[in-house]
Amino acid sequence: MTSARVLRLAVGFYILLFFTYLFGPLIVMSFTAFNSSEFPSISPWNCVTPEWFGVLFKDQHLMGGLRSSLLVGIGVVLLAVPIGLAASLLITQLQKRARSIVYTIAISPILVPGVVLGISTLVFWERIDRVVLGVEDSFFYDGYFMTIIGQSTFIAAYAMLVFLARLQRFDPGLEEAALDLGATHTQVFRKILLPFLKPAIASAAVLAFLASFENYNTTVFTIVSKSTLTTVLASKVRYGINPSISALAVIIIGLTLVGAVIHEYLRRKEVAKTEALAAEGLPAPTRSRSGNRVLRVPVGALASLIFVAMLATAWIARDYDVAQCKVQVTEENRKKFDALKQQRLAEAKAKREANRQDADVAVETNQAGRQYQNIFAPTNLGSQIDSTEPSEPDSDATTAVETNQAGRQYQNIFAPTNLDGQVDSETKDE
Amino acid sequence: MAVWFRRFLARNGTMLSLYMLAAVALWMVLMIVLPQLFMLDFSFRHNWQQIDPSRMGGPDDVYTFVNYHFLAYGSPNNPDPFNVVDVTVFFRTIIAAIFVTLFDLALCYPIAYYLAQVARGGKARLLVLFLIIPFWINELLRAFAFRILFGEEGTINAILLSIGVLDQPIDFVREDVALYAGLGYAYILLMIFPIYNVVESLDKNQIEAARDLGASWARIHRRVVIPFAKPGISSGCTMVFMLSAGALAAPQILGGPSSLWFTQIIYQWFNTGSNWPRGSAYAIVLMLSCVLLVLAIMRIFKVKIGEIGR
Repeated sequence: MTSARVLRLAVGFYILLFFTYLFGPLIVMSFTAFNSSEFPSISPWNCVTPEWFGVLFKDQHLMGGLRSSLLVGIGVVLLAVPIGLAASLLITQLQKRARSIVYTIAISPILVPGVVLGISTLVFWERIDRVVLGVEDSFFYDGYFMTIIGQSTFIAAYAMLVFLARLQRFDPGLEEAALDLGATHTQVFRKILLPFLKPAIASAAVLAFLASFENYNTTVFTIVSKSTLTTVLASKVRYGINPSISALAVIIIGLTLVGAVIHEYLRRKEVAKTEALAAEGLPAPTRSRSGNRVLRVPVGALASLIFVAMLATAWIARDYDVAQCKVQVTEENRKKFDALKQQRLAEAKAKREANRQDADVAVETNQAGRQYQNIFAPTNLGSQIDSTEPSEPDSDATTAVETNQAGRQYQNIFAPTNLDGQVDSETKDE
Repeated sequence: MAVWFRRFLARNGTMLSLYMLAAVALWMVLMIVLPQLFMLDFSFRHNWQQIDPSRMGGPDDVYTFVNYHFLAYGSPNNPDPFNVVDVTVFFRTIIAAIFVTLFDLALCYPIAYYLAQVARGGKARLLVLFLIIPFWINELLRAFAFRILFGEEGTINAILLSIGVLDQPIDFVREDVALYAGLGYAYILLMIFPIYNVVESLDKNQIEAARDLGASWARIHRRVVIPFAKPGISSGCTMVFMLSAGALAAPQILGGPSSLWFTQIIYQWFNTGSNWPRGSAYAIVLMLSCVLLVLAIMRIFKVKIGEIGR
């Protein structure tokens, strides 16, 4: 094997690893959306279920957040895109010195942390409200208003960069020719510049909307008493985790893939148009046009793969009984738990005989107690609460962990939080 | 100035000129400059609004360093020589952000080079498309995915336990592994694209010339590619550093129970602490130290600020 070949293999392996890092978390998260386990995980795989999508759509907070996110996103597009357009037009007309000053101020919001943008917007408009209007918490101190302003501060800079990139390829001769032929300035702008910038306007709008939609750092300060999708998500992820969030992620990933395919399609159409122009001997504005035919296959394959996967899911879901499977899993878990409990009781009894006067017990209790503290957390006791004992959901989620820690839980009986059913049954056993 | 303005009016017509100037002025003054100045002003004030609103605007409403003093030394009855919690968190955040930046640089440079110089046509474009896809997914959801992976009952622990590498689950969240992996992941694209854009414009002949003259693989990178890619590398590093130092979502979701990110302290002052002036002061300190650090490093590596963000 030559060294070049080894290098190629190494490079291939590196790229594989890299893309695993890139997509692994998303794939795992997507799978958790279909697991019936109350906690988003794939390791104890219970049942395939679409129920989390239902939970998601019934979630009033998330849906309300989604609505305000859409509202804010539209507001940001309407504000940031015109500003970015104006700034890009202005910058291309400025001389060197003034241009670099304006450019530096304009891109500074991209470099400033989003948290700082949010805070400054909040502080500024709250003050304006208090000083100018003389009333507290009135017009300007409104979650939507401040969020649109705060997000637009940096999103306008994104839009400006998109327009600047396009304007670099604009031929000012066109404008001059139109003016020489007697067009007014407004006509030149409407009939020449705007049509030329149309693709850039579209991509700036999409970019602005997406950036607004997924913004958290700025929004969390400016939204005040309202909530957007991201702020609702953040509080959900921090406090009560359940797989309906994974379901949301699946939807967003799906939309992203569809968007990517559409984007690819549109781009290719534009390139084809350029090629046609080039064939007629006109200058081609875009430089690279290689490899489109090569790309058609993988993108098509990706799209059809997704489609087939969706069809297959629908097909499987058609004659698959989730409820039955769940009963089965609950039953299995109960059996496993019973066996585990018996085993632990025996082990712990033996252990207690051995070191009754062990002083370390207190320390160990603390350690063990930490892990089981959230046994009684309300989120842990989903639908299974009726059919099982209080500690069952825990065994459901951590079977793998528990098997390795058999005997540990029994020491837990000294922990104050645990003085429920379990202690009773154990003392009875003795 | 007046000449320029007349020429500007003549070139664009009244309507368009007015639109351009008004929109840019609105943006720069009302959205960028004034809010920052107000925040600066706010950070030098007492928190009368919460403590005693009647003293606002009165003789007690004067400028003060009390908020900055608090960040450095804590409350007056703090027994330590300085504010241990906040100062530690501040330096930990900066150092961790540098670490995340270096991690991303090491991870992304080979990929950017591969995409720009090695991969051809369709394959390169497909890989670029694949790179962009995860970036479209909400930052919070990406952090959530890492929480699923790295949780104590998460996928990685489950795999390691089942193949017998571990016999006890590792608490990745407590060890901050999850946070660093999540932060590094979040800003990969911002590191790759600036480097990619620059390296792509490097003439392949230069690399081949170096190779023909007998330069080793490492030497080509050190003497040809990296010096050429310096603007891209520095703008990628700047963006990743600023964004990870200012990140809020990932630390909130992936941070261990005992470790805080500096932005979380700022958030607390605004949220539960109800002390906006102090939060503003903390935010100013964070922003200024990040900017100064970036400028210092750019001076060391001789890169100009105008090259950032292209």
